This record gives sequence, C-alpha cells and structure tokens, in this order.
Amino acid sequence: MKSPFELLSEYPLRLPRLRPYVPSPDDPAIFWFNSERKDIVREVVDRVVRGHGGGGGPGADGRRLELMLNDTALNEVRRLERQRDSEAKEQLPFYRSLTRRIARMSDGEKREAARTIVQRYARDVAGNFDPRVYNLAKHAVPRLLTGVMRPSSLPEELLPTGGGSIMERLLRIEGDLERLSALQRIGTLVYVPTHSSNLDSIVLGRALEVAGLSPVIYGAGKNLFTNPIISFFMHNLGAYRVDRRISARVYKEVLKTYSQVMIERGYHSLFFPGGTRSRSNLIESHLKLGLAGSAVRAFANNRVHGVDRNVFFVPTTINYELVLEGETLVEDWLKEEGRARYIIEDDEFSQLDRWIAFFRKLVGLEAACIIRFGAPLDPFGNPVDQAGRSVAPGGRTIDPGTYVMKGGRPVNDAARDAAYTRELGEVLVERYRRETVVMATAVVAHVLYRHLVAETPGLDVFARLRLRGEVAVPREALLAEVGATRERLVELEREGRLHLSEGLRRASPAEVVERALAVWNGYHARIAARDLGDRITAEDPTLLLYYQNRLVPFATELVTDAAHAEAAREIHTIGAVR
Amino acid sequence: MSGVSEGRAPVAVVGGGGFGQGIARAAARQGLEVLLWSRSPRNLEGVKDTTSFVEVARAGLIFLAVPSPFVEAVAGEMGQQLDGRHYLVHVSRGLVGDALEPISLALRRVTPCRRVGALGGPLVAEALRDGTPSGAVVGTHFPEVADAVRAALGSEALRLYDTMDLVGVEVASAMVGLLALGVGYGRAAGAGPAALALVLTRGMAEAARLAPSLGADPQTLSGLAGHGDLLAVMAGDERPEVRLGRALAEGRSLDEAAREAGAHIEGVKLASRLAAHAERLGLEAPICRTIVDVLEGTPAQDAIRALMARDAGTE
Repeated sequence: MKSPFELLSEYPLRLPRLRPYVPSPDDPAIFWFNSERKDIVREVVDRVVRGHGGGGGPGADGRRLELMLNDTALNEVRRLERQRDSEAKEQLPFYRSLTRRIARMSDGEKREAARTIVQRYARDVAGNFDPRVYNLAKHAVPRLLTGVMRPSSLPEELLPTGGGSIMERLLRIEGDLERLSALQRIGTLVYVPTHSSNLDSIVLGRALEVAGLSPVIYGAGKNLFTNPIISFFMHNLGAYRVDRRISARVYKEVLKTYSQVMIERGYHSLFFPGGTRSRSNLIESHLKLGLAGSAVRAFANNRVHGVDRNVFFVPTTINYELVLEGETLVEDWLKEEGRARYIIEDDEFSQLDRWIAFFRKLVGLEAACIIRFGAPLDPFGNPVDQAGRSVAPGGRTIDPGTYVMKGGRPVNDAARDAAYTRELGEVLVERYRRETVVMATAVVAHVLYRHLVAETPGLDVFARLRLRGEVAVPREALLAEVGATRERLVELEREGRLHLSEGLRRASPAEVVERALAVWNGYHARIAARDLGDRITAEDPTLLLYYQNRLVPFATELVTDAAHAEAAREIHTIGAVR
Repeated sequence: MSGVSEGRAPVAVVGGGGFGQGIARAAARQGLEVLLWSRSPRNLEGVKDTTSFVEVARAGLIFLAVPSPFVEAVAGEMGQQLDGRHYLVHVSRGLVGDALEPISLALRRVTPCRRVGALGGPLVAEALRDGTPSGAVVGTHFPEVADAVRAALGSEALRLYDTMDLVGVEVASAMVGLLALGVGYGRAAGAGPAALALVLTRGMAEAARLAPSLGADPQTLSGLAGHGDLLAVMAGDERPEVRLGRALAEGRSLDEAAREAGAHIEGVKLASRLAAHAERLGLEAPICRTIVDVLEGTPAQDAIRALMARDAGTE
C-alpha cells in the first residue's frame, strides 16, 4: 500500500478546473501547452515508432522493431527487478512476457508493443502547465524564501504588496534583456546555462520572471520529484520528467523527440548542456549536448516543412558566491572525478535545514547569485541581432536556413545536425568562460589555494587536501595578492574575457577577504579559511579548491608573484583544461 | 548563388600554386565545372580563371589552397560572399599563430561556413596534376563534405578516405611538414637510413605527445595523414619542405632556401611555435627544439650531438 506521500510524488496533484483555460494572445507560448499536450504526445509517439521502422508502409522494418523491443525489454526487466517498487510490480509482467514473445510476434504485434512502450514513456515524460500554479509560484516563492531568510519579516512579506525584495537583492540579472525580449516574440529561445546547483532551475525561473521573459520548459530528473511539494510545482509548471534509471535506448529518443517537438512548436526551453551539476565547480568544458541537439534538429525540421521559426540559443552563466551543495559535490568529484554517483539523492538540496542555513547565510548579501544572459546565438554559433537575423563575421546578415540545405533545398540529416551540435558546444564552452562572473569567494579561494600549491611542491592534489590548516598566509600578503589578482581580473574583463561582480570590482581587498570568509564560514560544515588576525589559514583545502576552480582557465594570467608562477601553471592543468 | 542552389554546382579552387592547380585539373578531369581563383590566370584546360570571390561563391565546394599565413586574410575576404551552404576544404600544412589554432577553426572564425574539412595524406601536387595513383584523407565532421570531395576528386587513381578527426588531420599534416624539412636537411648532411628512421620515429612519438594538447586524436597520426604522408616523404616525393631542408643543409640562408624550394614554407615558423607550446605545457619535444636550433643557425653537428646525448628511455 502506497503512502499518500508516495502517491503524490508519482501521480502529482493537479488542481481541478471546471472550464479549460483559454489563453489570451499575449500569454507566453507555454500557456497553450495543456491544450496541445495530447497532440504533442501523439506526435512524439508517431515519430519515435516510425523511426524504428514501425510506421507501416514502405518504411516498415520488422527487424529494427525487434531490435528496439529486445533492447527495451532487456533493460527494463533489469531495472525493474532492481527497483522492486510499485512501478516494478505493475510493469515487470509486461516486459517479462514481452521477452518471451518477441521472437514469435508478427510485425503488427511488434508495432503494437512498440507503440504501447513509447506511449507509456512519452506520457510519463510530458509535463503539465497550470497558469494558476504559475501565478502562485510567482508570488509565493520569493515570499517563502524571504521568510526563510528573515523570519521576522515574514508577516509583512506575506502582504500582497510586500514580497520579493530580499530575493531581488540577492539575485542580480545581467545581459541584454531587451534583445531577449524581442527575440522571444519572433523565435524560440533555448537557454543553455551552466549548472552548479539544483537551485539553478528555480533561480533561473525566477530571473526570467523578474526580467519579464517568458517561462520555459525544462527536463528535471525524476529524483527531484520525490518531494511532493516540489513535485507539485515542477509538474504544473511545464517541467518534463527525466528518469535517469531507464537505460533503454528508445527512452532517450523519446526525451529528445519530445524536446524537438516542443521547440518546433515554439516552446521556449531550458537545457543544462553539462548534463549534471558541475561537481568540481570548474567552468564546464565537456558538454553532453543531447537535448541541445534536439533544438538544432527542430530548426532543420521546421525549415524542411517551410516553417520559418528561428531558434536562438542563449548561453547563460549562473554564478553563486556560495553553492548550496558545494561540499557534497566536491567530495563526489574527488572520489571518482565526478562519476561516482550520477544522481545524488542525499545532498544539501534534499535537506530543509541546509536550505534554511543557506538562505539565512545569504541574507544581507547583495547579488550573491548573478545570472548572466550572454549574447544569443543561432544554432550554428553565429550571433543574432535584435531582429533575430544571423550575423556573419564582418557584420553581414545571412539566412541560417542555408546551413541545412543540400542540393539547393533544406533537408533533415542526423549526422550533419550532430556535427553542428558538437561545434555549437565548442562555442558554448568559449561563451561560458566569457560570461562567467567572478565573485569574492573565487578570488580569495584562488589566492589561498595558490599559496598552498606553491608551498607544497611535488605533492599531488590528494596529499595537499589533507593539509588542513597547515598553510597560513600573512594578512598583509594576502590582501596584496587579492588586490593584484583583482587587478588582473579587471584587465581580463576589459578584454571581454570574463566579468567581475560589482562587489568584487569596487570593494577593497580587505572587504573582499572579509566577505568571502563571512559567506563560507557558518554555512559550510567545515571552515574554509580561518582569520587569525595577523594571518589567514587555508583551513579546508577541499572547499578552497572547489571555489577557486572557477578561475582555473585564467590561472597563469592571474599570477603576479614570480615565485607562484609554477603553482599557477599546475592549477591551470586541473581538470585537464588546456 | 544560383549554382549553389542547383544540384550540380561548380567546384572552386582558391590559390593558383602547384597544389591548387593540381586540384583544379583533377576536378576538371571529373567533368565538373571548375573555377580557379588566382591573382594571375593559369590558363588550365577545362578550368575557368577568376579573380572574383562573387564568382567563387557560385560553387558548392571550395578548396582553399593558400599557405597557412595567408589563409585568414584570403578566407576572410572570400567569406563576405559565402554562407551556410558552402563547403570549405583546405590543404594547408600549418597551424595559425602562437596559439597553434587549426586552420579549420580559423575558417569557422572568419567565414560563416561551418561545413569545413582538411585534405591531408601523401597526396602531392604532381600526382593530382598527372592523375597518377595516390591516396588522401579528408578530415571533416560532416559526411556530406567528404562525399563532395570524393565526387570532385575521387577516381580510380585517387583513393579518398575520411575521418571525423578533422584537427587530427591538420596536426598530422603540420607535423609531417616539419619532419619532411628534417629529412631534407638530414639527407644532405649525410645522415644514413638508421639516423633518419630514428629521428622520424621519435618525431612521430613527439607528435603523438603534442596531439592531444592541440585537440587531436594521436591515433590519427597512424593513418594516411601521419605515417602515410611521412612514408611518401621517405619514398622521395621531393615536396617543397624536403627541398628547403636540403638547401639549408647546403648552407643557404633561410630566405635563399625558401626561394630555392619554390614555395612558401609553413614549417619554419611552426617549429618554433610548437617548441614554445611544448615548453609551456611541460611536454618533451626535443626534435622540434633541434629543428628550431638548426633554423636559428646552430651548426647541424652540434644540434645532432645534443639530440643524441639525451637519455634514451623506454619506448
């Protein structure tokens, strides 16, 4: 017997509605989602089944269908036997029976079985959007967060005129919002942010709302749906569920096809190209891009069908002064270089007390999270202007449709689009660096960690991480180095290679150090650096490594003291960054 | 642009040097309409000379056969007439600037073209010109680019393979160009087969060490673009890099040697950039270093003695 909690997370609550919501013409595209949902699921099922030779007619191919059914049945039986939950109880008999029957099935039966499986996946993936929940979230989330951060202000924050002020101070939004606003009216925006925390989709959603940009659809790991309250919001705000436990190949196709169909239909979307949160806090350089590829294919397919709706990628960085799950993530990275656990279910994101500690720590700190929207790109890495036209080197505008043409007409070509996606990934990696906003914690951690490396030549990273509190830097020396490093960063900012937070740019070195220590200490379970008056100790090298990793690509350019040049070179190689 | 939008667009070759002319002749032998962009007309049979990039833009497939130091400027100017339809394939043996940027990246930076490729391997201008049996490899991420090159040049006399490791082909071509210079020099300086084999084998090991730092797969060096190309050098294909090395060993200055070799030599500047790159990353590149030393005037015997005096480790 399932508990009500389990039931709510598996079958999320939807608010009853007597009459269907009729969107107004000014509503964002996603407000139309519920009226199109059935159609979208049907289209996804048709495309995926047809792609496996299950469409009937000349493209029919019983052999390919059989391969797909075999792969799915084998993987699903394995998964469900491991899971041993209610889902297993419900579905195992189907897959076991399928395994036994596949060899004897007629082509028609195979088609039917394929359709049943794909439909089940597609329905599970497809989200829901309820404008009432959207409005509730819009107003409730900032107030609740404010309440968590400063309980004494809760009554006034709950008043209809109050909310959001602390949240607004905490969150800073940068970038050409006017251009994004113009582009979202003429094409489909695909936000591709860096990924540091499970808070990312929440803060980005909030940032879009504050910036007056349309809400987006995005895939969320099924593990995030285990909390019924989060599940309720996610389900009703257009998020689609991604079950990472399913390894059947056709499931990934369902996800990609769903995303493609949504983008073709003009639903603004959000993907994290890194695939999972950056365990190391390094700026992402190895992107998975599976779903981003669906946006390239969507553009091509629209052109093939004569639909002139452009797709605009928006490289975005989400920069935190303090990362909610920092400690767990860096430990995971160090254990298995980030591959230890793809899905972490017991990190700080799932612990309410850590949320409260996190937000309370941030209260009073302005711009502790900076979201920076980079210049939008077409699917081929070209910048686009205010009117959505692709701009070639030299400033000439070109038709992006030419990239999907062959023999004079637009065609679909999976290999070509995969190549475009890979190349777009290289552009995104470069943009991530350029749009990174450096904050006080990164600079102070970098200077302290560089000292640690310089003073322990020949040690490997793990030996160094055991040196807790053993390296101290005289205060005056630290302030001088923080000041000099900041100067270098200002130069790099001038060259357009990164950005500095307003606080870092303006504060004195002493204030920068003070701020970093204040942010870390008291939230993280371990002390990152300790102020002993005349000197500062590198108390927890692991946390310092984590926060300084944002600066790894620039390490050799930030060093001013020749004695630390070798240390900077060594830091530069962390994560095999070239 | 009408040509591009029809099924059978012309093939264009930009650069009227030996290699460019060879490609133009090979494409013309396939019965294709061929445009050759060059500062001065070449008057090749079945090839239309042009000095206009607007005309070049009528082509679907464009070969870029200019030395790497000029690629950026030429491609930048040409790029003003191109768009996403065009396929760009270069044959240069260089890497751009101190950052050793692969030319394919430079093409993507200065033109709107994305479907780019590099032609590498043991193919030389004479084989292209005369249609004698030869082979090459097309590095590209786009299958349609490899198909287009095959359609334009592939024949019973020319086998064309392809690889997705575009940068690998470019790095291999650059490294082999450098080693070819060493072959010319070594032969003229009296190095025997064993000495040449030693330098070239260790040179390729050095290339494999450097390859990942440049974004290339070291395995690509084992194919036509690397070892295949090097074997052609050893078999005596008398390419310009070999002639340059020989002229240097015979005591000519760099300028004289380059003039005598009859082509712009891309390996000369590349050697010092590669050596600096290796030093920056702490990678061992003694053969690159030795080539730089010799080019900068160190007597050959001293340079070779220093090379041979190094500790020999496990292979």
